[in-house]
Amino acid sequence: MPLSDLTNERQDYSYGYLDAYAKRELRRRALKAIAIPGYQVPYASRELPIARGWGTGGLQVTLALVGPESVVKVIDQGADDSVNAANLRRFITRMSGCATTTDTSKATILQSRHRIPEEIMGEGQALVLQVPDPEPLRRVQPDISKAAQLHADADYGQMWLGLYEQLVRHRQYVQGADYPSLVHGRYVMNPSPIPRWDTPKLHQAAHLTLLSAGREKRMYAVPPYTNVYPLEFDDIPFQVEDQTGRTCKTTGAQNKFMNELPQADGTAVYELSDSGYAEKLKNNVATALTYFDEQGNFYHDGYLKPPVRPA
Amino acid sequence: MYVAAKGGEQAIQNAEALYQALNGGITLADVRTIMEKMPYLVDRVMGEGSLYAPELAALAIAQTGGDLYEAVLLLRAYRATQPRIAYANPASADTLLTVRRISAAFKDIPGGQILGPSLDYSHRLLRLDVLDAQEDLNRQDAKNAEDAAHASVNSALSAVQNGVVVSDAPAPPTYPALADWQRGQGLLPQTQPQQIAPADIPDVTTDTVTFPAPRAHRLQALARADTGGVLALGYSIMRGYGLIHPTVNELRLGYAEVELAHPVTGATFSAGRVRVSHCEVITPDAGKNGYMLGFAATMGWNEVKLIASSTLDLDMAANEGDGHSAHSEEFVMYHTEPVESSGFCIHFKLPHYVTFASSLDNVRKIAAASGWEK
Repeated sequence: MPLSDLTNERQDYSYGYLDAYAKRELRRRALKAIAIPGYQVPYASRELPIARGWGTGGLQVTLALVGPESVVKVIDQGADDSVNAANLRRFITRMSGCATTTDTSKATILQSRHRIPEEIMGEGQALVLQVPDPEPLRRVQPDISKAAQLHADADYGQMWLGLYEQLVRHRQYVQGADYPSLVHGRYVMNPSPIPRWDTPKLHQAAHLTLLSAGREKRMYAVPPYTNVYPLEFDDIPFQVEDQTGRTCKTTGAQNKFMNELPQADGTAVYELSDSGYAEKLKNNVATALTYFDEQGNFYHDGYLKPPVRPA
Repeated sequence: MYVAAKGGEQAIQNAEALYQALNGGITLADVRTIMEKMPYLVDRVMGEGSLYAPELAALAIAQTGGDLYEAVLLLRAYRATQPRIAYANPASADTLLTVRRISAAFKDIPGGQILGPSLDYSHRLLRLDVLDAQEDLNRQDAKNAEDAAHASVNSALSAVQNGVVVSDAPAPPTYPALADWQRGQGLLPQTQPQQIAPADIPDVTTDTVTFPAPRAHRLQALARADTGGVLALGYSIMRGYGLIHPTVNELRLGYAEVELAHPVTGATFSAGRVRVSHCEVITPDAGKNGYMLGFAATMGWNEVKLIASSTLDLDMAANEGDGHSAHSEEFVMYHTEPVESSGFCIHFKLPHYVTFASSLDNVRKIAAASGWEK
């Protein structure tokens, strides 16, 4: 019997691109991350055939999760058709043979850069967020080993001081996207550069969120039904981006996160950032419930509070 | 053998001959191949060498076996021998023949996002099938190899044409500047171009640089800075040692007309086109309402250098004097200069035994005095 009969046919790349050892490591790290919500688990981030900083962290998690039965949705800034999202989706399906979708409700794995969709995700779905900088303390402590000590001591005093300075200078919080948030009452995490509009969606979410930074080699998680609170003082509540008065030019939708589109005449028009949701509205396909309703009310009553300006 | 002065004449000649022999010598065909097949490498050497001369840059690369710092030095050294015979008119964004312009700040912008030539969204998989074809190539003579190379270029071109939906209307050659829209919205401060005679523009290649440097010096220094150097310092800002998140407002690759006034008739004419690129990054202005803009431009197409450089430009303006090295104009300009930094670095290969002996003397005396020496 020739040796070739006993061996598998040669393949250029493993299923899902990563070799079995890499997948095992990633899955173990993911389990640890889920077990300690918000804690950054280091991992041996592999080089992928995508440039570093372009979603290789999220991609490694997706490749470790994906199987032939998976249905994968990839968005960038909310859009499925964005070039980077299209490229990552093409790569994931090329290496795994999985199905793809633009419908949030149909996805089993949803990899995203900078957005959480408008439609409420459910149990059994995994949201994989691409993370450029996993360390919320970097704003106040660029040294990683010192920051690790602060996390261990739950010493977030400098973060609170930073928030206080923002109030003194600007009479409001001025952190834009990637708003630091306390997970399960223990670890402060960067929720990845999602807009503040999306941060509340992580709180008591039915789905699993895995956040992964390829360049920085750190992974962390928000397990289903976990408390996530943006850092805010009791008397000055956190605020999401104001979407009032913005109407999507193609669907007429309101009170969802909008892209501002500059026009040649110096004005601007708006369109839904979530392209999968917009597509459903355009085609009159039934949509799932959304985190924010038509009037802009968030689905967890009382979680978001009206603005207060400090004196 | 490593001999410092006398008797080393033959040795250094042999060392250079060995270097060239190991690289296999160079021919005009090699230079042409580098020029045609490695435009980004040629661009990088021209940018850092601050001389737009693709053929000379390709020659410098061939002559140094691809040692980039040596190639840049060759080009700079040649450049220094050339007189400046005229000043071209300024090239501006709205007249640049643009082949690629992208903005990360908005999904769409007036004039549109033009992806142009880019590897950004390619899968970085080695094309091993190319190596399989190499075995066939080896059996052919040089003429056949050349034909095959041309055939592969043609087939690549037709593959691109097959895989791409070709628009009926050609893309417009020029595009408005996004920053102008932002100025109209009051998001960026209004600026007026400075009226200055070309010969009076501060020139970092001929002036003594003092700090704070004129803006012209800073932008010129960044334009000819070492790509790796500005990347390291720019990355330190992006990664957390700076206070800003740079948003790429507009990044452009294009061709600029080199417009000159005819020395006799005074009529404006184009002496040719050069590959240029420029980048703007913006961040909210902490001190005022609106945004601040960082800018960098260079000869040739070098995106990573420009994003890093424009980020440095921005952070040097926003945070100068806060103690971080990458926010200091002096630190950035001195330490990203490719010829000076690489030259000083490799000078440590020179014999230093006199200075070393001097320090050895002290170390021994101290050791003896404290009873360490056995």
